[in-house]
Amino acid sequence: MTSPALIARDLRVQRGSRKVLEGFELTAALGGVYALTGPNGAGKSSALKALAGLLPCSGQLHVAGRELSRLTPRERAREIAYVPQQSLLSSGISVRDVVLQGRYAHDAVWPHKHKHTGPVDLAMQQTDVLALADRPWNQLSGGEQRRVLLARALATEAQIILLDEPTSSLDVAHALQLLLQLRVLAAQGRCIVAVLHDLDQVQRYADRSVLLQRGRTVAAGATRDVITSENIRRVYGVELMPNAALGYRLSDGAP
Amino acid sequence: MTEPSALAEQRALPFFQGRRALGFGTLLVAIVLVAGGSLYAGKAELDQTALGEQLFGLRAQRGAVAFFAGAALALAGTLTQGLFRNPLASPSILGTTSGAQLGGELMLVLLYELLDNRVPAGISHEMLTPLGCVAGAVLALLVVLALAPLRASAVSLLLTGFLLTALFASLSALLKSLTAETWQLARALTTLSLGSVSGAGRAQLALSSMLALGSLLPAWLYFRELDVLMSGEEEASALGVDVARIRVWCVIWTAVLVAGAVAVGASVPFVGLIVPHAMRKLFGESHSALMPAAFLGGGLFLLLCDVFCRVMPLRQEVPLSVITALVGVPVFLRILTDMERSA
Repeated sequence: MTSPALIARDLRVQRGSRKVLEGFELTAALGGVYALTGPNGAGKSSALKALAGLLPCSGQLHVAGRELSRLTPRERAREIAYVPQQSLLSSGISVRDVVLQGRYAHDAVWPHKHKHTGPVDLAMQQTDVLALADRPWNQLSGGEQRRVLLARALATEAQIILLDEPTSSLDVAHALQLLLQLRVLAAQGRCIVAVLHDLDQVQRYADRSVLLQRGRTVAAGATRDVITSENIRRVYGVELMPNAALGYRLSDGAP
Repeated sequence: MTEPSALAEQRALPFFQGRRALGFGTLLVAIVLVAGGSLYAGKAELDQTALGEQLFGLRAQRGAVAFFAGAALALAGTLTQGLFRNPLASPSILGTTSGAQLGGELMLVLLYELLDNRVPAGISHEMLTPLGCVAGAVLALLVVLALAPLRASAVSLLLTGFLLTALFASLSALLKSLTAETWQLARALTTLSLGSVSGAGRAQLALSSMLALGSLLPAWLYFRELDVLMSGEEEASALGVDVARIRVWCVIWTAVLVAGAVAVGASVPFVGLIVPHAMRKLFGESHSALMPAAFLGGGLFLLLCDVFCRVMPLRQEVPLSVITALVGVPVFLRILTDMERSA
C-alpha cells in the first residue's frame, strides 16, 4: 500500500438532533480494501456518504492531499467514485449510456462521446458487462445492475471507490465474483472502501476494517484485530464460532 | 470477450442515429404540412374574400404563435420532468404558470378599472397583457427562488411551487369574483384563463418566438446533467453534477418558457405533460434528442389543436385548453397505465 489517498479525522454527521456519526476516523491508502461494518443503524452508510462528500459533515476530510470541501463537484467525482446500494435509475437507457454517465466529470462543457469510448469499454470489460452494452438498464437482473454500477464507477477513473453494501441481494457466486473484482482493483492500485454486513466477507476480503456501533467507532485497524470474538460479542451480542460457517470459493466453471 | 479497442473501431457514434433522424424528419415534414394546411383551415374561404391576403397573414401569424407557445410548453415540461425524474410532472407545478396567469389578469384589471382602457402613450395596447404575464412569471420565479430551499431537495421546490400555485389560483379567483359585474372585463379574464391564440399578431409572434427560441439552446445545454439526474440527485452529485445549480437554472428556463406561452394566450394544460412523454417513446430518454423533439412536437401539437379550434362547426371558437384537455386526459391515463404496468 502507498501513501494515504483518503484521510478522515473526527467526522461527525448529524440528522436533525440525532447524531448518526461521531468521531469517525479513517486513513485509507491506494492498493487497500477497507471495510466499514457493524449492525443495522451503526452509521456505516452515513460514514460512506460523508466520505463521498454527499452528506454534510463536520471534521476533516482530505482526498489526495486536498480538502474535500474545496473541490468542485467535478473534481470530487474524478477523485472519488461512489457506488450506491441500489440505483434510483429506472429508465430503459442502454448499459453503455449508464456507464458513460461515469465520464460526466471529465467533460468541461461539451460532451465528447468519442473521447470516452476507450475508458467506457475498458470499464465494461473489467466488470464483464461488455456483452450487455446495448441492453436496456431496466431489463437487467440485480446482479447485472450491480456490475454496471461498478463499471460506471470505474469509468470515472477515480482512484478511490466507495461501495455501499455491494454484495447485498447478490447470490453467493455473484457476491464472491464482485469481492474478487474489488481485490483485483485494489491490486491494480485503487483504494476500495466498502460497507459490508457479512463478517465472513470482511474477514476474507478487507485488509483493514472499522467496526461501528450507534455512530461510534468500536474498533479500527487490521481486520484480524477488529473482527474478534470479544468485539463481535460486544457489538452484536453473539458468539463468534471460528470455522463454523459454511465456506465458499468460486469453482472453476463458475458463470 | 471482445477487445474494447476493436469495439471502439467498429462503433460509429453519429449525432443522430438513424431512427432519430427519421423521427426528426417526420416531425419537420408534419409541421410543414400542418402549417401549410392551417392557412386554408377556417370559416372564411381565402379566395372568396377581398381581404384574403390579410386573412392569410393573420392565420400564418396565429399558427406561428401557437407553434412557438406549444414548443415552449413542451420544452418546459421536458425540463421539469427531467428535474423531478417524473413523467407526470408538468411545468405548471413550479407556480410560474399561475404566476404568469395572475400577472396577465392583474394587467387586464388595471387597464379596465384604473386606466379606463386607455393605454399610456408609447405602449402597445395588445402587448400589455403579455407583458403582465411575463412580469407575473418573473415575480413568481423570484418568489420560488427566494422561498424554496433549493439546496435542500427537489421535494422542497415541488412543495413550494404547489403552494404558490394554490395561492395564485386563489387570487385569480378573487379577481374574477370582484370583476364579475363588468362583463367585458370578466369575458377578457375568462378568455385569458381558457387559452386562445386568436388575434395574435406580430408583437405576440415576436415575443413567443423570442422567448421560445432564445431558451431552446441554453436549456438544451443541460441535456447531459438531466441525463445523469435520471439516476437521482445523490448519484448525480457523486458523478460530478452540481445539482443545486442545475435545479436553479432549470427553474429559470422553465419560467421563461412558460411566460412566453402564457403571455400569448396559451395558458393551456397537458402540452407540457404529454408531449415530452410521447417524444420519449419515439426518441428515447436521452435529453440531447428529447429536448429538440419535444420543442418540435409541442409546436406541432398546439398548432394542430389551434386548427381544431378554428374548424369546429360551432358559433364561436372552442377554447384551446378544452382541446388540449380532451386530448391530454386519455393520453395522461395511458401514461399512468404504462407506469403501473412497468412497476
